[in-house]
Amino acid sequence: MAIDTRQAIDTRQAMDTRHKVLLFGAAAAVRLLLFTVFPALPDLLAGRVDVSTPVTSFKRLQEGVFLYTHNVSPYDGGVYHQAPLLLPLFSLLPNPAHAPLATNVFYTAVDLASAHALAQVADSGFASVTPWFASPRRHLRWSSAAIAAGFLFNPFTIATCLARSTSALTNLAILTAMAKASQGASFTFILAAAFAAYMAMHPILLFPPLTILLYHARTRNSKTTPSVSPFVISHTLGFCTAIAALLTGSAFLTRSWDFLSATYGVRLLLPDLTPNVGLWWYFFIEMFDSFRDFFLAVFWLHAASYMPGLTIRLHKQPLFVACTLTGVFAIFTPYPSIADAALYLSLVPMFRHLFPLMRYTFLASASILYTSFLGPAFYHLWIYAGSGNANFFYAITLVWSLGLSVILGDSLYAALRDELDVERPELRDKEVRRI
Amino acid sequence: MAAPTGTDASLAAKPDETSSQSTTSPNSSPSARKLPPPESRESLLLRRLSILSFWVLVLFVGLPIWLKTTAIYRAELPLQEMTDWAEGKVCKPVFPLRIAVEAPVSIPDAHHLLRTTQHALDDINDFSAHHLRLMLADSPLQSNASQQVITDGTGIMSNDRDVALAIRLIPVETGTTPRSHLQPYTPMLDVYYSPNQIPSQSSTGSTLATFLAQELHNIFAEEQAQLVHLLSASSGAHAAKIKALSPETSAELQRQSTRVLKYAPTYHLTFSLFTPSYAPSAWDIETALQSYMSPLLDAFSAISNFTVDTQVQLYATFAPSIHQPEYDEEKKTWILHKEDLSGFVNAAEWPLSPSIGEGPTVNFILYVPDRTQSPLLIKENAGNSWLIPQWGGVHILNLQGEPDTPSALTADMLAPAMHTFSNQLISLFGLPQSPASLPLRLSTLERVRAASLIFSASSTLGALAQVYQKLPSIPVPDNVAQSTHRTIAHLQQACDFLRDGRFPSALEHARSAEVEAEKAFFERSMVGQVYFPDEHKVAVYLPLLGPIAVPLIMAALKELKSVFKRG
Repeated sequence: MAIDTRQAIDTRQAMDTRHKVLLFGAAAAVRLLLFTVFPALPDLLAGRVDVSTPVTSFKRLQEGVFLYTHNVSPYDGGVYHQAPLLLPLFSLLPNPAHAPLATNVFYTAVDLASAHALAQVADSGFASVTPWFASPRRHLRWSSAAIAAGFLFNPFTIATCLARSTSALTNLAILTAMAKASQGASFTFILAAAFAAYMAMHPILLFPPLTILLYHARTRNSKTTPSVSPFVISHTLGFCTAIAALLTGSAFLTRSWDFLSATYGVRLLLPDLTPNVGLWWYFFIEMFDSFRDFFLAVFWLHAASYMPGLTIRLHKQPLFVACTLTGVFAIFTPYPSIADAALYLSLVPMFRHLFPLMRYTFLASASILYTSFLGPAFYHLWIYAGSGNANFFYAITLVWSLGLSVILGDSLYAALRDELDVERPELRDKEVRRI
Repeated sequence: MAAPTGTDASLAAKPDETSSQSTTSPNSSPSARKLPPPESRESLLLRRLSILSFWVLVLFVGLPIWLKTTAIYRAELPLQEMTDWAEGKVCKPVFPLRIAVEAPVSIPDAHHLLRTTQHALDDINDFSAHHLRLMLADSPLQSNASQQVITDGTGIMSNDRDVALAIRLIPVETGTTPRSHLQPYTPMLDVYYSPNQIPSQSSTGSTLATFLAQELHNIFAEEQAQLVHLLSASSGAHAAKIKALSPETSAELQRQSTRVLKYAPTYHLTFSLFTPSYAPSAWDIETALQSYMSPLLDAFSAISNFTVDTQVQLYATFAPSIHQPEYDEEKKTWILHKEDLSGFVNAAEWPLSPSIGEGPTVNFILYVPDRTQSPLLIKENAGNSWLIPQWGGVHILNLQGEPDTPSALTADMLAPAMHTFSNQLISLFGLPQSPASLPLRLSTLERVRAASLIFSASSTLGALAQVYQKLPSIPVPDNVAQSTHRTIAHLQQACDFLRDGRFPSALEHARSAEVEAEKAFFERSMVGQVYFPDEHKVAVYLPLLGPIAVPLIMAALKELKSVFKRG
């Protein structure tokens, strides 16, 4: 009997592995095919405001690499706003203008690694079952291969990969941090989370919920609960050390601390008002100068304020908190792109058990689809055809953010409803009303 | 926006008081629908904690940021002092002029002469702020007496730069006595007298003393008139005490002041050569300026600085709107009508850019008419130059002796034009018409300028104080306060120097005060929020903060209510 089960599991795993190999091969083939069949496509996408932002653009990265390899400070031109450690990495690759293959393979590999990490997170099952919580609908789930496929064949992910935006690397770091946290691997988790925070700054907010996730994973692996305060203190210290090491390494690399204001300063103070899919640029174009500082603080505070509330309220489902926060980043950070939305939309399918409780799926998916097509069209009308104005594009970004917010709010409702069903099983499938 | 409502949106439930892990028995089923059972302690705690986390962020991060980023920085200004200056309470400008007298007579006699002359002078003078004080100078001839003269405190060296005028008494035997001669290039009045005109110790009056007093009064008459005009025009506080000028003098001074350029620390002089044809295409302007203009500019340098540039414009035509010159058969000249002079300068086509250097530009135009239209004169007075108030001057250079227009003008050819230009510059600069001595006229201008600069800087301070009080919403940076303090310090020093009769130093400080006052008043960053009333702040804050605040406040209120109900 036992042997049978093991055999069954083995065959399933073998099947799974074969599925994954097929899936990853297909995804890599699609990317490399697009790279080779449409050689103009990467540059076209790299210039699109909805794919590349001033802080993730591949064109700006090339400028930085050029300055770096010519022994000029990469931040001198005021064009490059990305992390300094990307420079030695990309200066190793051959010049993409002459030999794009290496860069293309690199970005394809980054996407595959992200998908692998996502599959690991899905495999861990923390989406619906944690040591302190088990969803009554936990049998409703998609296989990790399906979730990875959702990520790999998401048009937003593919566009990000083709545009060679560095947010692909940030996404990889975030997904790896999630995967390592869900496996209970402290060291690699700290490293990955530090990398994510180092590259994009706002992922630092993911650290508390992911530390809780790590704690849950440790509890489940060892069947004992580690004591809380030493756990929190040691991991926070480790995280700080990792970030300090990364920053010191960057300063050593560029021989000055100028990169702080050129990278994190730009993200914080928004000096570059190039349009993007977020809500900030239009607002700050219209802003009275004397209120600019105040509203910068308000916007950042608003984006950051979700973290503590959500982490406290949903501390039993830390993975869900982390996923929701990536959604918040996709809407409320200063320079979001479709890469951030791609990350969030790829994480949501892990919570398949919440789908029956969601109420506005049609509205949300319709508005996301609608804006995906109309956004580029309206941007074209505004910038190239000249028959529209900035409001056209801004209206679309509003609807885009609305669509994401609906998914966010609806999934949050569903998660809380799900918790309620555990607390009060007799209310299951009944209409509830807030009092 | 997924507002904070999301977090407490689900507390829809009416869980049992017992913890969720324990087996709960739903025994009170009929009443449960109507009366929700109390929440579990854990979920209550969680909800309160999450609401609290939002409020902690708002209160401990948001509020300080709000205060910090929207605070309007207003540096402290000495408002009372500024207003006092503007109202003329601090400084009443007085002009004690020192007149050194060199008398080749015995000390007691000289003192007596001085006393009687001073008496006569004080009797004629009716403007108390302008006061001439006679002092016995230490004559180089009487080196033995100098020691005593200086020690008694009234003596003074005649070559001191703070002496307004030196009188040299020269005994003569011939000619009418007393008679006087004002030296044109030094502040020196030579008075010739016969020795018997020195008043004896006992007498109370003498012809020499009366003559001296009258002479001095005449010399400073125009200066007094100008100062009276200035004081009455600029501040009401002084006007009451000042004698009224006659309407004619007043009108004349008014006319002069409309002609004079507004004071600036630096003027830019542009000398332009315009000709309707191809010649002359060069002029030896550098040499001409060096020999005719530089001495004058050097003399003015105590009052203002000058920068100079020159240009040559060929094929410069008249504006089509004016009458073209007509030929007068009688006088064999081409004539311009007086009423056309205002349109002579073709402002639309002649490149006379208004401001090349810093400070206002003064234009001097040398027009060389075409061979066929020469000589070109003004019909009414056959003159060839005129002054344009507050703008510059024009000179038409008719080259009579030459058979053809030369391609280059030598410095000698330019001499008449240069003389005209220097006269025009003197008028534009506001130098008084009399007396005949240039240094005296310059020192008069120094005093008038010092007084007018003190008035203008004071009134700028007053205006700044008013702006500060009337517009509480404008930011006032520190450098405005610093400039204000410096202005007041300079004003005070200028006023003190004025009282001591040290006019060059007074002018220097008055100039600095004016510059600092302008800098404080026209500070760029102050005007940004002038037109930003408080009502607009509602429109700035509400659209975003309102929707965020409503759920936050409602949640907090609800929690507080439930806490009080329980408690």
